[in-house]
Amino acid sequence: MIEAVAIGAVAGGTSILLPTLGEVVSERSGVINLGTEGSMLAGALAAYIVGIQTGNPWIGIVAGLAAGAALAMVHAFFVLVRGANQIATGLVVTFLGLGLTAMFGQDYVGQGVVALENVPIPGLSQLPFVGPVLFDHDPITYLSLLAVPALWWFLARTKAGLRLRAAGERPQVLRTFGTNERTVRALAVTAGGALAGLGGAQLATAFTRNWSEGMTVGRGFVAVGLVIFAAWDPRKALIGAYLFSGAIALQLQLQAQGSDISRYLLSALPYLVVIVSLAALSRRRVNAAPEALDHVFEHAS
Amino acid sequence: MNPAASASASATATAAAGNASADGSVVDAPPDGAVLDTPPGAGPDADAVATPSRWRAAGMATLRWAAALAGALVIFGLFLFARGASPVDAYLAMLDSAFGDSRAIGDTLLRATPLLLAALAVAVPARAGMFNIGGEGQLVLGAVGAMAMSFALDGAIAGPPAFVLLALAGMVAGACWALIPAILKVVLRTNEAIVSLLLNYVAVIVLTWLVFEPWKDPKSTGQAYSKALPSDERLPILWANRVHVGIILAIVAAFVIWAAFRSTRWGFKLQVLGGNPEAARRAGLRVGALAVGAMAVGGALAGLGGMLEVSGVEGRLRPGIMVGFGYIGFLASWLAKHHPLKAIVSAFVLAAIAIGGNGLKIEAGVSGAAVNVLMALVLLAVLGFARPNTKATS
Amino acid sequence: MKPTRLALAAGMSVLALGAAACSSSSETSTGGTTGGSGDESDLTIGFLYVGPKDDYGYNQAAYEGSQAVQAAFPNAKILQAENVPETAEAETVMEDMIEQGADIIFPTSYGHLEFAQNVAKDHPDTIFVHQGGLEGEDKLDNLGTYFGTVYEPVYTAGVAAGEATESNKLGYVYAFPIPQTLANINAFALGAQSVNPDAEVIAVSTGSWCDPGLQAQAAKSLIDQGADVLTQHQDCTKTIIEAAEAAGAMSVGYHFDASDLAPNGWITGSEWNWGPLYTDIVQTVVDGKFVDSPYNGDFRVGLQTGDNPFVQSSYGSMVSAETQAKIDEIKQSFIDGGSPFAGPVLKQDGTIVWESGQQPTYEEVETMDFFVEGVTGKID
Repeated sequence: MIEAVAIGAVAGGTSILLPTLGEVVSERSGVINLGTEGSMLAGALAAYIVGIQTGNPWIGIVAGLAAGAALAMVHAFFVLVRGANQIATGLVVTFLGLGLTAMFGQDYVGQGVVALENVPIPGLSQLPFVGPVLFDHDPITYLSLLAVPALWWFLARTKAGLRLRAAGERPQVLRTFGTNERTVRALAVTAGGALAGLGGAQLATAFTRNWSEGMTVGRGFVAVGLVIFAAWDPRKALIGAYLFSGAIALQLQLQAQGSDISRYLLSALPYLVVIVSLAALSRRRVNAAPEALDHVFEHAS
Repeated sequence: MNPAASASASATATAAAGNASADGSVVDAPPDGAVLDTPPGAGPDADAVATPSRWRAAGMATLRWAAALAGALVIFGLFLFARGASPVDAYLAMLDSAFGDSRAIGDTLLRATPLLLAALAVAVPARAGMFNIGGEGQLVLGAVGAMAMSFALDGAIAGPPAFVLLALAGMVAGACWALIPAILKVVLRTNEAIVSLLLNYVAVIVLTWLVFEPWKDPKSTGQAYSKALPSDERLPILWANRVHVGIILAIVAAFVIWAAFRSTRWGFKLQVLGGNPEAARRAGLRVGALAVGAMAVGGALAGLGGMLEVSGVEGRLRPGIMVGFGYIGFLASWLAKHHPLKAIVSAFVLAAIAIGGNGLKIEAGVSGAAVNVLMALVLLAVLGFARPNTKATS
Repeated sequence: MKPTRLALAAGMSVLALGAAACSSSSETSTGGTTGGSGDESDLTIGFLYVGPKDDYGYNQAAYEGSQAVQAAFPNAKILQAENVPETAEAETVMEDMIEQGADIIFPTSYGHLEFAQNVAKDHPDTIFVHQGGLEGEDKLDNLGTYFGTVYEPVYTAGVAAGEATESNKLGYVYAFPIPQTLANINAFALGAQSVNPDAEVIAVSTGSWCDPGLQAQAAKSLIDQGADVLTQHQDCTKTIIEAAEAAGAMSVGYHFDASDLAPNGWITGSEWNWGPLYTDIVQTVVDGKFVDSPYNGDFRVGLQTGDNPFVQSSYGSMVSAETQAKIDEIKQSFIDGGSPFAGPVLKQDGTIVWESGQQPTYEEVETMDFFVEGVTGKID
């Protein structure tokens, strides 16, 4: 059963991990984006439609990335250029994504899609426990696993990553080096949206092979919560995403085993896990917040 | 984190975020009058001075609003067109659904009621610099609280006294639900925006459990629902078959909050806290208690909205009541820049769009959820364009 | 459309006029016209769905029924409303449809009933036929309910699944423990057990009629428990069928023939064929014979009483001719008055519900609130 929950945590966790990583990128540069949920929906639908139209799931995936990024650019524009409040704009962008995907996804509900199949990694997938848990998934899941160290390395060790963090921590310094932090932030928000779009694309074309209105059911919002849980660190984002997804897998697994615990309590479990761990960790997390998350808001009304 | 940040280490990302959650001009404005008279988002230059230029500013603000709304309508029309629907027909269908006759207007008023209270539930914490995205859950808990009171009364009391008790129960339940993120924030510095948002999902599960288990009506053979409120605990109908007294209560609540913001010490303290928590602390304000109180009042307002919906419209609990109302209320509060009286208008506008969605569904064949796009565009227009001077982040 | 209503429409604001005119293009009454003759130019029929009309499931089946009505009454105006929640919002939508001139309204989701009753009281000239509900004490001349005995084909599908399974574990994904769902799960289990006494049904709830993410996880957990057949009572069915197929498990469909989604694992399924029933209901109304017809009450039709609108889907290749013959026999026994719930039926805890020789009425089935023996799962 532990193995089954672990498999479920990873398989279902990709569509939470990717938007969480995207939100890490965005927030490290100093912008909170609650539009992540909308970017996910846009990514899911775009990947689904383009996958159907071209018959090639990979073109669909690219479309999903682009759609997620496009919606995030709306957020970036209003927040960075028009100076609108981030929290409000983010929620509005989610509304926009929800509505647009409902409108244009209508004709694609339940349509057949060329799914991204699982690709077991030869040799490794045969290992006990680790094999099925980590090495028997769809390509996007592998990609998301690789993205964690890559993003950590990018943020911690590259010049571009340093600039991104500077935009979030000390924009004045950035400016003395002739870089405008708004440009950096716009890029970061867009990249974050692309990652969220990729998460949505994985949800639609690989994990569920389906499109239905509002199918992300809050995954994007959970991702924003998990970023705080993760203290803006991609490595801890991995833990958070799998914790949430693992809680879902666990509750369904317990049901399937005929557990006596209330079904309703079990279904609240994933959310309670996130809330409780946020509360438990929050004191330590406060100081990890990128400073510009404070500053941006002060000027943003 | 760099050392310089330690100066503001006491402020969490969201506490600081909240600094500007209320209108930016509020910080420097005198406590009375300024908020009311300031056009949405107007800069400090337009504040508080009762001169003819104020009228000009107000006129300009109205113009900007109109331009922003027109822009939103045009863009949504283009989307409709892209979707293969005639924008003109679609808008006519929406107008018909929202205002076509007294019943339609009634439906719009009916929807505006919980939206207004959900908006006020955002506006009060926002004044104190807090984000309440939990209106959805607080509405649900309000309905649950009212229902619980009805079961407790068991028909012993009827009419107005029962309404008062039901409303109180709903308000207490909504306030309690809002206290969770508030206390977590004050004690543990947990992000109240995220916690209140995630609690919405939990609230729906609580509702589902109640409806399917302890409160289930044995007669509900299809999708489950709770036992009904006795008919003498249903709010009196005022107009057009369905419009109940709740709309008046909601408007009264908006005026009360407005007056409290304007001319009570509490309102002033909230404003100081929202403007600068550090200054508030140094000035000796009990910052924690104020913040928690603001969230609790917000939760109570949403809870009242839930009670009104169950006692005035639904008559019983069902899974899926008031879905999305809390979020739309959040948008309504932002549309009004957290001004209680303007929220009356913004709640009505968003209610009309929501109800108009039915016309879109039935006549234009476009998904009803498409109205989310129009709401979003209106909001973006107002958040991003309906103001004189753009202050982008420095 | 009634003259008063027309006058009202004309009195509406200038902006509303255009829309109103669209719906009032004719003025004769509906009485006396005959179905399919192309003479129902003033007939307006509204359909409400709780979900999207192309969900590969419940709502799509109902939508296709509405298209059959359109085919039979080509001049009728059909109003469609998708994603109508089971709240007072349904009332608003129905009022809107009446405003558009609706003569007949089909609210097709369980939770729409009470709102249909409310609206029906205010609009005695509009006929309401609700899908799946029971009228209760509120008898109205302009309202009725209809449904098929869904559990009959689910039982026979259970027979096929009981024969096909090798692990003797059958997975069932459902939304909420409402009586119709419980009846389905129980019928499926009893059907499987009738040919395979070791068959066990594992029931997992997602708490939603359509949440593909949870469905995918639920399918995984069932397969992990050893289930080699998956079935469901969900509104959107695609995810679970594809998940079963990808995992090499077998599928029993629901609402809709999805055999194309599972070329290897498709056993069979049950699906709606609402067209004939919808058309007959509309014809009855058009003929002016609705009042006191069977449709003006709780109309239930099963194999015993007529054409069940819920029929068995096509068989997959693994279902042997022998099993198919057995299923035909069982169907015949239902036609002859038998029931999937013919006693003895035991609850999960072993207490007896229907003794040998007893069988429940339609109404008893539709108020079922327990799992039978051999089902793993928890209702509360």
